[in-house]
Amino acid sequence: MGKLKKWSLETVFDFILTGLGIVIIITSLTYGLGTLRRPGPGLYPFFIGLSIAIFGMVLFISELKPRTRPPLFNRGDIKTLLFMIVAFCLWILMIPVLGYVIVTLLVTYVFCKIMMLEGLWKPISISAGTALFIYLLFDYWLYIDLPKGILG
Amino acid sequence: MNGFINSLTLVNLVACFIGAMVGTVVGVLPGLGPTVTMALMLPFTLKYGPATGLIMMTGVWYGAMYGGSTTSILVNIPGEAASVVTCIDGYQMSKKGRAGAALALVAIGSFIAGTLGIMGLQFFAPLLGNAALSFGPSEYLAFMILAFVLLSNLSGEFPLKGALMISLGLFVSAIGINPMDSYPRFTIGWDELMMGIDFLPIAMGFFGVSEIMNIAVEKYVPPEVKKVHLRNLFPTREEGRRSVFPILRGSILGFFVGLLPGPCTVISTFVSYSLEKRISKTPQEFGKGAVEGVVAPEAANNSAVMGAMIPLLTLGIPFAAPSAVMLAGLRMHNIEPGPTLFSTRPDIFWTFIAAMYIGNLMLLILNLPLVGLFGRIALIRPPVIIPVISLICLFGIYSVRNSIFDVWVMIISGVIGYFLRKWKFPIAPFIIGIVLGPTTENSVRQTLMLFKGNPFLIVGRPVAMTLLALAIAFIGYKLLSPFWGKKISLKGEEQG
Repeated sequence: MGKLKKWSLETVFDFILTGLGIVIIITSLTYGLGTLRRPGPGLYPFFIGLSIAIFGMVLFISELKPRTRPPLFNRGDIKTLLFMIVAFCLWILMIPVLGYVIVTLLVTYVFCKIMMLEGLWKPISISAGTALFIYLLFDYWLYIDLPKGILG
Repeated sequence: MNGFINSLTLVNLVACFIGAMVGTVVGVLPGLGPTVTMALMLPFTLKYGPATGLIMMTGVWYGAMYGGSTTSILVNIPGEAASVVTCIDGYQMSKKGRAGAALALVAIGSFIAGTLGIMGLQFFAPLLGNAALSFGPSEYLAFMILAFVLLSNLSGEFPLKGALMISLGLFVSAIGINPMDSYPRFTIGWDELMMGIDFLPIAMGFFGVSEIMNIAVEKYVPPEVKKVHLRNLFPTREEGRRSVFPILRGSILGFFVGLLPGPCTVISTFVSYSLEKRISKTPQEFGKGAVEGVVAPEAANNSAVMGAMIPLLTLGIPFAAPSAVMLAGLRMHNIEPGPTLFSTRPDIFWTFIAAMYIGNLMLLILNLPLVGLFGRIALIRPPVIIPVISLICLFGIYSVRNSIFDVWVMIISGVIGYFLRKWKFPIAPFIIGIVLGPTTENSVRQTLMLFKGNPFLIVGRPVAMTLLALAIAFIGYKLLSPFWGKKISLKGEEQG
C-alpha cells in the first residue's frame, strides 16, 4: 500500500491498460481463436490484447523508475475541470426534458460562469446568441430533429 | 472539365467558400482544430451530398493551414499545430515591422503550394489507384502494418505510446458485432455497443472536448496584435526573390511528407524548416526573421494536405485524423474510397479536384484583405469562445445520428483525452486505429484463409513482402539507432 501511494496517476493508468490487455486476451479465448486456416472471432482481438498488455507493461515498468514529475494540475484546475464535466452532463440529462433552446441558454450561461466571465449581461447575451445560432444552424438550416422538451 | 462544371454550381461554390472561411477562423482560434471542425461539417454532407461535403471539409483543412499562420506571425501564438514553426521567424519579422509582407508571402506561398499539391494529386492519384487495383488482402495488410509502424514512430515523442494508442484504437474498432461471422464481441450486454462505437464522437472528444478543457484550465495571457494595413502587405523585391525557391522546395517536400502516416502537416513544417536552415547561405538569420523560415514551412503544410489525400482516395486508407473524418463522411453516403473510386465515381474525384483549385484561389483573394479581421478574431478571450465551442460540439455530435449515447462517448473520450494529452500520449494513432481496425481485421483473416494458414506464403507476394521488409527495416533502424549515436528527432505536436 505504501508503494501504491508513490505511483503517479500515469503509472496507475499504465497498470490499468496492462490489466485491460489481459482481460481482452481472456475474453478473446472465450470467443474461440479457431485455427490459422480458419480464424475464429477471438483470434484478432487476442493479438490486440496481447500487444496492449505488453506495451502497457513496458510503460508501467518504465514509469516505476523514481523521477521528479511536474504536478499535473493544481486544486483550481481540478475545480474548473470538474465543473466543465458537470456542465456537459447537465446538457445530456436536461435536454430531453427542457428541450434544446432552454438547455442551450442555461448551459452556455453555466459555461460562461465556469470561465469566470463577469457580470450578468455578457453571459446572458452570449447564451442568447448561442441559442439563436444553434437554432438557425441545426434546426432551421439542417432540419436536425432536436429535442424540443417542454417547448415542443 | 466536367469537374469544373460540377464544382461551379452555386451550392458547391458556397460550400467551398464556407469551408475555407470557417477553416481560416478555426486556424486562427485555439480550441477547434480542423479534425473537429470537419466532423462538425458532417451534417452538411448529409444534406447536400458527398461531393459538396468533401469540398467543404477540404476547405476547412487547408483553410486552417492558412489561418494558423496569421496568429503565428502577428501574436506568436500558433492557432494550429502545423503553424508552430512559423512562429519562430514569422513573429520576428512582425517585430521588425514586416508582418504585412510575411502574411502576403505566406498567402502567396500557400496558394502556389496548394496548387502544385493539387496538380500532384491529380497526376498521382489515378496512377496509384490503377496500380492498387491489383492489391489483394495480403498487400493491404502489409501496407497497414507499415503504416502503423511509421505512425507510432512519427506521432509524438514516444513510439511505444504511439504503438499502444494504435492497439487501443484497433481494440475499440473490434467492439460490436463482427460482420465476418456476426459474432458480438466486448459488448458487455449493452445494446448500444452491438453496432460498435462510432469513431466520430471519440474523435470529437479526444480532439475537441479535451482541447476545450485544456484551454479552460490554462492561464490566459492576452496577446498583443499588431495592426496590419493593406499598404504594408507588399513585400520588397529582395523578400520576394528569397522566397521563390523555399516555396517550391516546401511544396514538393510537403507533398511527399503528406504521403506519410501521422501528423504529416506538422512534420512537413519541421522538416522543411530544418532543410531551409541547412542549405541557407545565411543560417544565422534563422530565428531572427528569415523569410525563408516562414514561407517554406507554410508552403509545406499546405501541400502536405494534398499529399495526404492520396492514400485516402487511392487505397481508402486515411493516414491522418482529418482524412479519417473525410472517410467517415464518404461512408455515410455508401461511397468507399479506394482504387475503384476513379471508375465508379469519377464525378466525385474530379469535382473535388476542381473545387480545390477554386478554393485555393478563394483563400488567396480573401485572406489578404481580411487579415486585420482575422487578427481581431485571435483576440477573442477563452471565456467567450469556450462556452460557444462547447455547445457547438454537443449539438454537432448529437446531430450526426441523433444519439445521446454518442454525446456520452464524446464527453468520456474528452476527459480521457485530456489526461492522455498531459501524459504525452499521441491521439491521432488511436483515431486512425479505430478507422482502420475493420479493414485490418478483414485483411488479416482473408490473408490467413488465402494462404491456408501459412503466413510465410507472403514471400510469394512481392509487393506485400517489400512493404513488410520496409516495416521491419524501420523498426530495426529505430532500435539500433541509439547505438550508432544517432537519433531521429521528428517531434510533432498533435494534429487536431
